[in-house]
Amino acid sequence: MNITLIKVGETNVLQIEGRLDTTNYGELEHHLSSLTDNDELKILLDLDKLEYISSSGLRILLMFLKKIKATDGRFMLCGLSSDIREIFEISGFINIFEIFENQDAALK
Amino acid sequence: MAHYIHFRDPTSMAIEEKLKGIPKCPGTCFFIDVINSTDIKYKTELEDWGKRLNNTFNFISFLNDFPENVVKGIGDELMLFIPDEDLFSKTAYNNYFGLIEEIYATIDNLVNYPLENTFLNCKVSIHYCTEVYNITFFEHANDYYGKDIDLTARLMSKAKANRIVMSEKFYTKVQNDMIDMNIRLENTALAKISSVYMEDFKGVPWPTEFRYIDIESL
Repeated sequence: MNITLIKVGETNVLQIEGRLDTTNYGELEHHLSSLTDNDELKILLDLDKLEYISSSGLRILLMFLKKIKATDGRFMLCGLSSDIREIFEISGFINIFEIFENQDAALK
Repeated sequence: MAHYIHFRDPTSMAIEEKLKGIPKCPGTCFFIDVINSTDIKYKTELEDWGKRLNNTFNFISFLNDFPENVVKGIGDELMLFIPDEDLFSKTAYNNYFGLIEEIYATIDNLVNYPLENTFLNCKVSIHYCTEVYNITFFEHANDYYGKDIDLTARLMSKAKANRIVMSEKFYTKVQNDMIDMNIRLENTALAKISSVYMEDFKGVPWPTEFRYIDIESL
């Protein structure tokens, strides 16, 4: 998995590429913790190049959603492929996240 | 596929010959039990409890990744058996550490899912089985029998909502994976694992060591 961080205005955009599973979820957790620990609470995860997400990956997303929702921050997702969208639908995650078609839509 | 055992003559020597030739099938056995589902059946209608059972079974992503390994469902309890050869052939979580991480994440997600009345909570027991055979007494069915399968079921008596109970035998397998992968305990699902306990389970002639993880709401 590759994670790239760019800042667009006040929003931190994390682009995730590859598979997010038990072997590497700690890496995403580390990136997100670094941001939230520094009060960077506007975060957009671009999942356009995400190929697979396991329960361990979903857990990290849910953990930070709860953490950021407890503040006045925003935790958004965009670029879900049909396979990833299906996982989000089955898990009910589609109903609890702010999800956008792409970065442009999320950053408007 | 399971070895089909079916002999009409109860005194058959052929059945003993066949059974003698069946190899053991080492692997990991899971029981996953949905909590309070009987209770909600009395309190709500099918459209509510049926939906929540559907959601919960769907949510256990594990089941989607190992569809061939769901051996049976009895009411609201599922039994999975993942033979080692199946586990090692997977591309995702193809080791014991991966298995416990995924099941932990699944239960954690259920516990922490923010919308009420969507899912039901679960409890889980896990054991690494060596005394197990892939046999069935019913044509076209798949099943596993052996004293280690029975022990996995017994372990469930130590589980409760949002708890994963695992035998020391399985925990040792996970620890070995962690050593091989150079993974530190504090960064894993096992960071809050209990000390080891011992219990005399019904029908098991010696005490069984086990541990558990309780998953809490954030």
